[in-house]
Amino acid sequence: MNTILFGILTIVSLFIFMNLGKIKASKKQMDREDRINWGGRRRSNLKKNRGSSTIIEGKAEEVDDETKK
Amino acid sequence: MSKHSALNTFGRSGNPAFTRNFENNEVFSQSERMTLDGAVNKTAILLALCFAGAFAGWNVPALAMPGLIIGTILAFVTIFRSPAKAGSTAPFYAAFEGMALGGITVFAEMQYPGIGIQAIGLTFGILASLLFCYKSGIIKPTENFRLMLFSATMGIMLLYLVSFIMSFFGAGIGFIHSNGLFGIGFSLFVVGIAALNLVLDFDFIEEGAEQGLPKYMEWYGAFSLMVTLVWLYIEILRLLMKLRSR
Repeated sequence: MNTILFGILTIVSLFIFMNLGKIKASKKQMDREDRINWGGRRRSNLKKNRGSSTIIEGKAEEVDDETKK
Repeated sequence: MSKHSALNTFGRSGNPAFTRNFENNEVFSQSERMTLDGAVNKTAILLALCFAGAFAGWNVPALAMPGLIIGTILAFVTIFRSPAKAGSTAPFYAAFEGMALGGITVFAEMQYPGIGIQAIGLTFGILASLLFCYKSGIIKPTENFRLMLFSATMGIMLLYLVSFIMSFFGAGIGFIHSNGLFGIGFSLFVVGIAALNLVLDFDFIEEGAEQGLPKYMEWYGAFSLMVTLVWLYIEILRLLMKLRSR
């Protein structure tokens, strides 16, 4: 009985692992700001910056020290 | 000359992280990138090799000690050398560790019949339930979670090392091997830490597949999962032996 019970548990668990393992994790898991940064990169900042450019649009003005005087 | 010449030359963003990601996408084509399917399939290959090794160790228990020593050396080689070599070292690691586990299980079975299948069932049961908890987002690994687990794992390893060295001088840290309440509590704690290390392995594989790491990282991810599973199995076996000896 012991062998059958734990044998079934082993087979079912391996089946779950083989199928569930290939499915992508839920959005709740993936889209978090506090995820582990495995690559040593600031991924959360990176994601934030990806949508919005840090460059200010408009006419650029040249600053010249002589014009101030 | 245009005032935006730098923009014209380098594009809208000079952030090196963006550039590196772009380069990664160029260097590794879709077939050369790490995938979840690949990592799971390679884990299955390593598990099959581990079971084959365990079968050999079960029939010839004398293989347990050489299997343990060679398996440990291969683990260190894989961890401390380039992960790119994992594809050639991880299958041998799995087979040799399997021999060790087979031999250890025979000795445990002699004392407590039926304990081996209980430990295997519980190990894979924990693997499946934690995978479900991770995929569904019930357990969310963070940097603090990783720091806490890393500290606890290093603490346990240090305690085992001190106990191992002390055993040469006829002494030892008695409570970690005892079948008293403290010894069982300690084993439960170690099983918990080993099990939570699985969550870190799942997150590493998931992140690697998402970032499109090179294909050989599938072997490294599968290897790290195997190392944790071997540790978890041994700790569960120790816990069950303590419980059965009471």
